[in-house]
Amino acid sequence: MNSMEEKLWDYIDGSCTAEEHKAITLLIEHDEVYRKKYNEFLKMDKDFNLMELDDPSMTFTYKVMETIRAEHAQQPLKAVIDKRIILGISAFFIITIAALLIYVLGNVNWSAGSSIKIPEQLNADHIKIFITGTVIKGFLFFDVILGLFLLDNFLRRQNVAKQP
Amino acid sequence: MQSKLTDIELIQQVLAGNQSAYADLVKRHQRFVFSLAMRFSKSREDAEEIAQDCFIKAYRSLASFQQQSKFSTWLYSIVYTTAMTFLRKKRVDTTSIDNDEAFIQIESKPGSYDENNIENKSRSYYLNQAIDQLLPDDATIITMFYKGEQSLDEIAQVLGIEANTVKVKLFRARQRLKDKLERNLKHEVKELI
Repeated sequence: MNSMEEKLWDYIDGSCTAEEHKAITLLIEHDEVYRKKYNEFLKMDKDFNLMELDDPSMTFTYKVMETIRAEHAQQPLKAVIDKRIILGISAFFIITIAALLIYVLGNVNWSAGSSIKIPEQLNADHIKIFITGTVIKGFLFFDVILGLFLLDNFLRRQNVAKQP
Repeated sequence: MQSKLTDIELIQQVLAGNQSAYADLVKRHQRFVFSLAMRFSKSREDAEEIAQDCFIKAYRSLASFQQQSKFSTWLYSIVYTTAMTFLRKKRVDTTSIDNDEAFIQIESKPGSYDENNIENKSRSYYLNQAIDQLLPDDATIITMFYKGEQSLDEIAQVLGIEANTVKVKLFRARQRLKDKLERNLKHEVKELI
């Protein structure tokens, strides 16, 4: 690259240091060759800015949005899944499993020595009052919803993966 | 009428589920994206296909946009990758900067350069004509620098090269553009440059 031309373009683009800028300003003022080249480049730069952008068809935005709608990609996946829902579900299962584990370990007969006996039947009379038909139906309903949600999630991912 | 919201605000709305906000983003950037696509394809139909593809890809990946750069820089990198893939598929002739085929092709387009109506043509017309004759890389750098409001660093990010390399490429692209203008306009170039 020609040093003078490179310096002048840097000067015009504003990509030179303050010291270089000062030095080039002096050169332009006192050196006829620099001045002539600078004016030529300045004119070129001005003309390049006249460049016009092309316009797409009038229906361009409509076509893009229609394609997006047609692909059922109505929202980016991350926007659909609220992290609080995932955390809530995780917390529900962790608490349930932990409670069950504590309850079972609490009912183990530790005094039995090396042959630890797990009780054949847990004394769960005090929680039986909570296990009613409505609760079981509710639990099953929750499971079905969760299953459908996971299936929908899985199918969406597959759909996205298939797209080029 | 276009939205007065910033790109980032519009993106946040899209991510929150407001799909129509994306239409505003498309409207805002479509001219530049389409023009960049035109630098590669030289055909309006293909350029429109590339541009559409870019906006759909950008939509799908919007959640992964980290906002560490401008949305336009991120979008243009998608355009560049998509257009390069298009070029590879279509095997568009990009062999030599001195190849005059493109020049002949553009000259033969209806309504192009004609000595009789030269006075009626604007400066920008001849400039765009010369840009059309450049290699896609040169035309892309020139377009991004002058019309895309992209710095050398941002162009480097889009093209996946060093900023210094962009600087050298921009310098050469300007020189080639000047040569093309000189060739096209012959006597008229003195008036233009």
